[in-house]
Parts: sequence; structure tokens; C-alpha cells
Amino acid sequence: MPAAGTRRARRSTGRLLGAALLLAALALVAVRLRPSASGAAAGLADLPGLALRSLGRMAAAYLLSLPFALAYGAGAAKSRRAGRVLLPVLDVLQSIPVLGFFPVAVAFFAGLLPGAAGMELASVFLIFTGMAWNMAFGVYEGLSTIPADLAEATASFGVAGRLRAARLLFPAAVPKLVYNSIVSWAGGWYFLIACEIISVGGQRRALPGLGSYLQATSDAGDLPANLAGLAVLVGLVVAIDLALWRPLSVWAERFRYGQGGSAAPESSRLLDWWLAARGPRALRRAAASALGLLLAPAGAAWDRLAALRPRARRALARIAAALGLAGAAALALAAVRGIVRLAASPWPARAAEIPLALLASTGRLLAAYALALAWTVPVAVWAGSRPRAARVVRPLAEIGASVPAIALFPLMVAVLIRHIGVSSAAVLLVLTGMQWYLLFNGLAGVSAIPEDLREAARSLGLPWRMRLRKLVLPAAAPSLVTGSITGWGGGWNALIVSEQLSYAGVTYSAYGIGALLDDATYRDGGDPLLLALCLAAMVAAIALLNRLVWRRLQAWAAETFRIV
Amino acid sequence: MPTPAPPAPAPLLALEGVGMRYALGGREASVLDGVDLALADGEFVCVVGPSGCGKSTLLRIAHGLVAPTSGRVVFEGRPATGVNLACAMVFQSFALLPWLTVLENVTLGLEARRVAPAERRRRADRYIDMVGLEGYEEAYPRELSGGMKQRVGLARALAVEPRLLLMDEPFSALDALTSITLRKELLDIWASADVPVSTVLMVTHSIEEAVELSDRVVVIAGRPGRVAEVLPVPLPRPRDRKTPEFTATVDRIFSLIV
Repeated sequence: MPAAGTRRARRSTGRLLGAALLLAALALVAVRLRPSASGAAAGLADLPGLALRSLGRMAAAYLLSLPFALAYGAGAAKSRRAGRVLLPVLDVLQSIPVLGFFPVAVAFFAGLLPGAAGMELASVFLIFTGMAWNMAFGVYEGLSTIPADLAEATASFGVAGRLRAARLLFPAAVPKLVYNSIVSWAGGWYFLIACEIISVGGQRRALPGLGSYLQATSDAGDLPANLAGLAVLVGLVVAIDLALWRPLSVWAERFRYGQGGSAAPESSRLLDWWLAARGPRALRRAAASALGLLLAPAGAAWDRLAALRPRARRALARIAAALGLAGAAALALAAVRGIVRLAASPWPARAAEIPLALLASTGRLLAAYALALAWTVPVAVWAGSRPRAARVVRPLAEIGASVPAIALFPLMVAVLIRHIGVSSAAVLLVLTGMQWYLLFNGLAGVSAIPEDLREAARSLGLPWRMRLRKLVLPAAAPSLVTGSITGWGGGWNALIVSEQLSYAGVTYSAYGIGALLDDATYRDGGDPLLLALCLAAMVAAIALLNRLVWRRLQAWAAETFRIV
Repeated sequence: MPTPAPPAPAPLLALEGVGMRYALGGREASVLDGVDLALADGEFVCVVGPSGCGKSTLLRIAHGLVAPTSGRVVFEGRPATGVNLACAMVFQSFALLPWLTVLENVTLGLEARRVAPAERRRRADRYIDMVGLEGYEEAYPRELSGGMKQRVGLARALAVEPRLLLMDEPFSALDALTSITLRKELLDIWASADVPVSTVLMVTHSIEEAVELSDRVVVIAGRPGRVAEVLPVPLPRPRDRKTPEFTATVDRIFSLIV
């Protein structure tokens, strides 16, 4: 009975929204008022409060990432010259694992404000470093692929300035931005643990939150408490998906240009309710005016800029570029000074291990990549050709991508390490940081195969093997390569939480660059020089691999398997 | 007492009471309703109708790419389910695989039917020559003009030598001059004795095109689409668009649609 179904749906939507609002309000209160209880001492009763604190940090990091991504992506897409500088910088930033940002977080942000507030700031910054780069890439991609006829049409009608931003640029950026936001948000949960346990001068400071709770219960070997934390995490991920990401991705579909399917969900009851004529008009108006209030200064600034004479604008651009250069120079100077100071300290004995450790980790990544391909490609091909299946698989993948590797340690230790060894267990943990990107991208690629090509293949009677070889795999190849690039990026980052596991007071370590980094950060007060050397080696390896393998493969796939 | 009429030959394709409904965001939308249509061997039939009347869906139902929600499709006297490989389709958007060459696109259907490589090549060459693309075997679709792409689409469909050739607005994505030339070539190929493809079902929105090409014009109108009229076009070929008979037929169909 459809009538009863819709009524029930409306009721459950209302309840969901109520829960979401309550959650947000509680998050605010919890972050403001709760005295900081150490994660280790926390019991089950503290779990909701801890979860809300973590959610608050995630939300803060996301709200910081959003303007950054819009500004940086727009800047990189603005001109070829700007892109040539900004994109490689973003590439490097993306390849630095979260541990690499520790020194900045601790030295700068924790120093900015004393005590707990500074630590909170540092933690939010660390989560930000896991979200922002990918989102900026999304904005850049959306803006740099605006079809020429659309750009010309808006120009021909004299659409410029603020109107152009609102009617052409922002809509063009939305689909990719929302998609990358979902991935970034999941990545934020994945690295939450690393971001909530900050080491200062060899001292670990755990911020109260879900991440530190998971770590503490794992350290203590308290499996039931650990599983409870994991359950809360999964529940939170699902609730936010329903309350935020699902409505947003349905909404973002409006801005997709041209045909071709997508793996986005088809409908969201929450969005329908929000947009309905008889919907929450007062709430909607409040949200709009709040947004307007936030955006008004930016809009006014934009208008003032647009009203300037070309000469004045050029001068202003030159000043901005000079300021940017000065900032970059100051940063470089600080880096050089840091390096000089580090180089003056005694050469760490374990630095000689770096090449071999890097090789061992690369081998682990290769093994994880093979495993990831073996299951994600068949699933993507299967679900990507069936919109209904895709709508089930995608949210499941989002949940999977949000579960931190460290949350699986107890299971790993209890079951796997005993049977397959630490090194193989590390491969499986790396896999958790790698596989979802391949699945997301593969799914998107297969879903986007134009309907007429599918029909032609069926009309000609291609048997499934031929359909796979001649249609599906070639059409999905560019997306699979993109998924491989992000997957490897995720894998490198996951190394730092995969090669060194501690459970019930015992540390299990697999030889590799991740374990070495972990030691350099946490062990015996940490070794800044070793940390810097490991990071440099890792970033260099990632950059080299990107240049030599992935970029070439990407260019080749994009050219060969382009759908005109 | 009148002599009984000789039994009519069984149609090659018959659509019997075909209807199509979609569930669209909770509401049901009906595209086609109770469509009956029979196609004799050797006939050239065009389906015309306003955009959105379900004529493309009708073609896909005839091919078995889409299953009707009511009614059935009968092919050579037997009910047909699933994709009917005795048919081949020419698409409005060409639907060529961009990463395959002209030759590979044309041999695709033959490979699917497990035709031996030598025979594959022979047949592909023959139909590529027939549509005037000799010398372009190794070219990729993106290197070709729209008219040339549709020639590849036609060669790909002819190469499997289907009992029934289905064409979904094959000329509407082409410029006027190109489509005039291609229409003429299509008629030549259809009339030619050494091409085994003799029955064509084509969907078009151009009434002139339908009158110029077909033996009968099926007019679909309304929402959901129904067969409004089936009009025989007894004019001799090649047809001159400027004769009064031609114009009268076009006007008659036009009045049925509007």
C-alpha cells in the first residue's frame, strides 16, 4: 500500500531529521562543555559524548576544507600559469601522510593557543589535511571541464562576475565537489585515530574522542568496548550518509552536464521533503539567509573586484602574487632552517634502513593492489550495469571506507596474525585504505557507459566476455586508472597505521616504511630527522611512481578510451 | 459466391497489443498502449510520430532490447523474447565503440556470431565498400565526419545480414545534404538483389523522409502512443518530392499528427 508507505517514510524522515539536528546541537554542547576526559579512562557511558566530540572535529575540518577547496581549485583553474604552480603543490601535499603534518600541527597550531584549545586546533588541522587536497582537486576538475559552448553562451549573454560564479562556475564544480567530499569525509574517519593522538616532543596527547577511544580499548585489549566503539562509528557514518551525503548527491545530479549515467542515488526522501512546496518553508528561509549572511562579504568583495578597472585589477593580482610568493619564500626559509637544524643533529642509525623498508612497503602495496583489483573490478562491473545494485553497493562502500584500519586491529590480532603473520595482516590493513577508491571509481566508470553503446552491444548479440572486453573494460579504463592513483595514495597513507599494530599491550610490527615512520614519530621521544628523511623518501617515491607510471597510464587511457 | 481470398503470408514480425509503462518517481507513465503492427517480408515500413510518442521504444521492443509490459512480439510465427539476433539496428547517435577501428566496429557482430576470421574480413570489406568507406578500415570513429560514422553504423548492421533491419532516426543527426545522399544509398542497397537484407523498419520524425522511403507509413500519435493510421504509399520509386501526389500524402499524415 503506497499511501501507508509514504506516510511511514515521511514519519521516519522527520525522525531522522530530528535526530540529526539533535546530534548537531549535542555535538556543539559536548565540545564546549565537557571537561576533557582522557580516552583511556573513558567507559561505555562516555561513548556518545566522545563520538560527538569527534564529529565536531570532523565538521570543523570539513567546514574549513570547503572554502579552501573552492578558492584553491578556482585559482588553479583560472589560468594555465596558475595551474602549473598550484597543481604540483597539491600533488605533493596529497602524497604527504598525516604524520608528516604533525610537526606543523604541533609547532604552529598547538602553539597558537595554550592547552587543550591548541590541541583541538591541531587535531582539526590534521583532519583538514586529510580532506582538503582531494576536494580542491574536485573543484579544479569541475571547473576545468566546463564545456566550451556553455562558457561561450554565458559570455555571449554578458554573464560575468558574481552572476557567472553563481550560474556557471559553482554549478560546474558541484557534482565533483560533492563526490570528492564524500570520499574525503570517509577518509577523515579513517585517519581519525591518528588525528586524535598527537605526539608532542615524544609525549602522546590523546584528545577525548572516538578515535582515541578505539585506540585505548585496543591497547587495553578490551574487545567488547572496542566493538562498541566500532558500532557507534558505523552508526554515525550511516546516519550522516542519510542526513547529509545522500540528499547532497541527489541534489548535485542536477548540475551534471550531458547524458551518461552515474552511480548517484536516485532519490532522497529528505531532499524531497526539504524542497517540497509544503516543506519547511521557515527552516529553508532561515538556512538561505544564514548562507547569504555568510557569503555576503565574499560577494561584496567579488563585486568590488569586478568593478575595478583592468589596470587596477592587474595591479591587485600582482600584489596578491607577490604576497603569495613572499609567503612561500618564508615557508621555504623556515623549511631550510629546519633542515639545517636537523642536519646538524647526529645522523640516525636507522636511516640506512629506509631504502629496504620502502621496498618492503611497496611490495605490500602491490600485493594489496592485486587483491583490491581482484574483487573490486568484478563488483564494479556487476553493480555498475545495474542501477539498483549500484545504489546498494555505493553506501556500503562508503561505510567500508569510513572504518579505520585501526578499528580492525583486534580482529586482526585475534584471528589473522596468528595464522598468516604480521606482514600479511599488514597487507590486509593496507587493502582497507586502498580498495574503496577503486570500487568508487570503477562503479562510477561502469555506470557512466552511454546507454546507446550498451544497446549496440546487446543488439549485436555480444556474449558477456566480448561485452566485457570490447565495451565495459575499455569504457571504464580511465576511471579505473584514476581509482588506482587515488587508491595508491590511500594505500601509502594507510601504511603508517598498518605496519605497526598494538593490541593488549603487545606491539606487532611489520618491517616497512610505515613502521619506521611510526617509530620516528612516537618511539623514545621521536626522532625528527629520521621522520623527515622517511617522509622525504616516501614523498619522492610517490612522486616518482606518479610521474613514471600513473600519469602516463592516465594520459594513455584518457586518449585511447575517450568517449567522444 | 466470391472465391475465398488466398491465405495472407505469415508476417515476418508482428507486434500484438504491445504496451509499455514506466514507474517514474512513484507515478506510472504509459508510453505505448495496445499497438498492433505487422511487417511482411521485403517491406520497407516507416514509423512517424511527434517526439515523445514512444516510437523509439516501439523499435526497441521489436528488437527485444526492451520487454513490453503488455502484449507480445511474434517473429516468423514464433513469440520472441530477449534480444532478437535476426535483427540489427542502426542508431541515431551511431553508437560506434570509439576505441575500435571502422573494421573492428563492423566485424563486432560477426565475431559475436562466431563467424570465422577470413569470412568476417570478407564480409566486412564487402559492406564497407558498399557504404563507400573503402580506405577507411583502420580509421577511428572520432576521425570521421557524422555522415561517415553513420555509414559505419549501416555497414555494421548490414554485415550481420539481418532478416530485419531496424533504424532509429538514422539521418536526424546529419546535415541535410548528407542525409539526402545517405537516403538514396539506403534505397539502392535495399533494392539491390545481391544484398540479403530486404525488410526495413525505420523510425523517423520527418514525414517527407517516411513518404520518400517506405511502402507503408505507420502513424503513432497520442500519449500513450497508439497506431493512429497505417498509410500505404503506392508511389513509384524513385519518388519526386515535388509531385502533387507526394505532397498530398505528406499533408494527409501531417493532419493526422497535429
